[in-house]
Amino acid sequence: MVALALALLLGTLPGPGLSCEGRTAAGETFPTCFDPGTGWVLGTTLRVQDGEEALGLRTGLLVRVARSSGSKTDSLWFDSHRLLMTEAWGGEHEGLTVTAYEGLLRRHVEEGAILIPMGRPRRIPFPFDVALAVRAAHLERRTWEGAGWTLETGRVGLLLDPLRTNTEWGWLAVGPAASHALWHGPDGTRNEVSPFTSLLLDAGWETRDGRWALRATGLAGWSFDFDGGSRFRARGEVALEHVLLAVNDAPVFVRLTATGVRNDAGLFRRSEGMLGAGLAVRPFGER
Amino acid sequence: MLVSAVTLGCALLLGQTEVPAVAGPEAPVEAPVEANAVLSSEPPRTPGPWDFQMAIPDAASPQQSNEGQALCLPLPPTPAVPSGQWRARCDDARKECLVSPAHELDSKGHENDQPLQRVDRCLPLMLTLEKALEYRLVPAIAEAPPGWYRDERGRVLQYNFDLHRRVRLGGAWAPRWLRETDGVDERVRVDFGVDLEWPGESDRLHRMTLLDTELYLGDAASYEATLLRYDFRSQNDAPLFRVTTFYGRARRFDVHANLGFWMEVLHGEQVRREDVHADFLSLAATHVTLDLWHSEDLVSYVRVRAGPSVERDRTNGFFTLVPAAALEGDLTLDRDGFHHVRFGAEAQKVLLAERVEGRPLRPERLRLRAGYEVIALAINDQPVSLTLDGRGTWRDDVANAPAGWEWSAQAGLRFSLWAPARRSAPASAPGKG
Repeated sequence: MVALALALLLGTLPGPGLSCEGRTAAGETFPTCFDPGTGWVLGTTLRVQDGEEALGLRTGLLVRVARSSGSKTDSLWFDSHRLLMTEAWGGEHEGLTVTAYEGLLRRHVEEGAILIPMGRPRRIPFPFDVALAVRAAHLERRTWEGAGWTLETGRVGLLLDPLRTNTEWGWLAVGPAASHALWHGPDGTRNEVSPFTSLLLDAGWETRDGRWALRATGLAGWSFDFDGGSRFRARGEVALEHVLLAVNDAPVFVRLTATGVRNDAGLFRRSEGMLGAGLAVRPFGER
Repeated sequence: MLVSAVTLGCALLLGQTEVPAVAGPEAPVEAPVEANAVLSSEPPRTPGPWDFQMAIPDAASPQQSNEGQALCLPLPPTPAVPSGQWRARCDDARKECLVSPAHELDSKGHENDQPLQRVDRCLPLMLTLEKALEYRLVPAIAEAPPGWYRDERGRVLQYNFDLHRRVRLGGAWAPRWLRETDGVDERVRVDFGVDLEWPGESDRLHRMTLLDTELYLGDAASYEATLLRYDFRSQNDAPLFRVTTFYGRARRFDVHANLGFWMEVLHGEQVRREDVHADFLSLAATHVTLDLWHSEDLVSYVRVRAGPSVERDRTNGFFTLVPAAALEGDLTLDRDGFHHVRFGAEAQKVLLAERVEGRPLRPERLRLRAGYEVIALAINDQPVSLTLDGRGTWRDDVANAPAGWEWSAQAGLRFSLWAPARRSAPASAPGKG
């Protein structure tokens, strides 16, 4: 683990003369760097849950953009968008999750500051970047639980990033999040809201050539039923991706995941853990 | 000034070819200097026209203006500015150049590797020696764009915010009192919305709000949300009516009316009163507005508006027609957009409703609200504001709930993304006139 961490860390260092272009003996060029946040993901997954294995499919579109701020120039936005991320799996615990949109919008400034507007403006150093995490329309359907579904209509998090990297290859964003979800079961539909009573984590680290990528996400906090009542729930996921080879310049990568859920899985808000390993291709994923 | 600066610069570029080299970094003294005071009348021994140690600006230094062209000015290196890179803005009439380091300074007053942000590109020109001797160099703080403030270290921060252009996210403590039952609902509010504003042609200002959402959680959880709200207001110089009187001397009175338009699409509301609730969805509302007063830039206003809406009573399953009239205001109290007051009173009458047991055939609503929002601080140029709201509603459209007033006092915080400087942001920084 330490070796892996060191490898990741060293890989992110601005190595002298990092070239993202290989050359064949015939003189043709090919990409050797990839963007883990860009491309069309299509892959398979082997899930292990409660000792039971199941095969699954995973697909979706990834878009990552680095741009200068329009209204506050001299600062950079690193925007990661995930569109229509879908994962379906079979086995005894057949299910499906679809996320229409998920994005992390991080604004990097060279020197963060808090403006104190009283009198002559004063600035206090503020060692964080600000990020906005947005998720819209996250549907979870578990056929083995019977009729019903869970739909998180929206989630928004106001996050702070103490790493403050000026690249898209590393971030550590933590902060409060608000969300609204619908639980539709045989008894009807319930509304559930978390009014910034949850803590959201979104962290990632990638090598500069994009061949290793580590991402950790987590959410923990209280949510409240419209009709009264509250509950604590938490979930976290760690995913490690490594590019094995590229086919027609599209990276083929292995993806290992570990997921833990407490009081938040499915219609009945189960607690569960899961391990996954998968192979996927990401066309249009070169850097 | 640009022409003269370029002319002078070009002339001296030619002159530079004959000028010797710059003084070394070990030049000792660092103090504010007048060029002609330092340069002797003897021919220069060094290549640059200014052979002295330029002082860095302090908090009391003047600030460069945004007018004219900035010139890149190489000066002899100093311990504070070893690169010798400065920026100058010269006043030909006063024969004075305000000069500032081209890089930001650290806390000890030494330049770092961060170039000044939000400054115009400087022209890499130099004044001729002869001309340079006529100019006095004054340490200064570099210019800042309208709405931004630059400190003596050259760092900029935004101090002017347009809260009509933002993505906002907030929360508030929002208890509610029901007068009929003497009950208190302990609630919190979560609000979200995207505000847009843009000027149109012929003195018109457009404003739009998307996804305006307020969720009330806790006792009697409920919500109020609008998918889209749009309005425009305008300044009409031509009178709407001209009234001429003929008794005595003929006189003409012009009646000006600044009319506008307001609309909402998909406004949803859930009302809860103890054990009963009602859901209403206004599909579309279109109102005509008449400004009683508006500011010169049309941003602040007091107006009346009136018009109909088509509403779906989702609880009882029928459509209604809801005419409404409102008096409302939105005032930005200060130049920098820190203080905002909003108020309104709106009356609605529900028509064409089917008979529902436990409520009148034509229910009514009266909504009152007044709010104040002040920017408390800004984090990385993103404002965080304090919001105070008072709201009152009288309604009898909830079946089996007693008609009457409910009051709510709300206090909270709101975080705003985007929020650029106002279009009317002054070029001069606070404290700099």
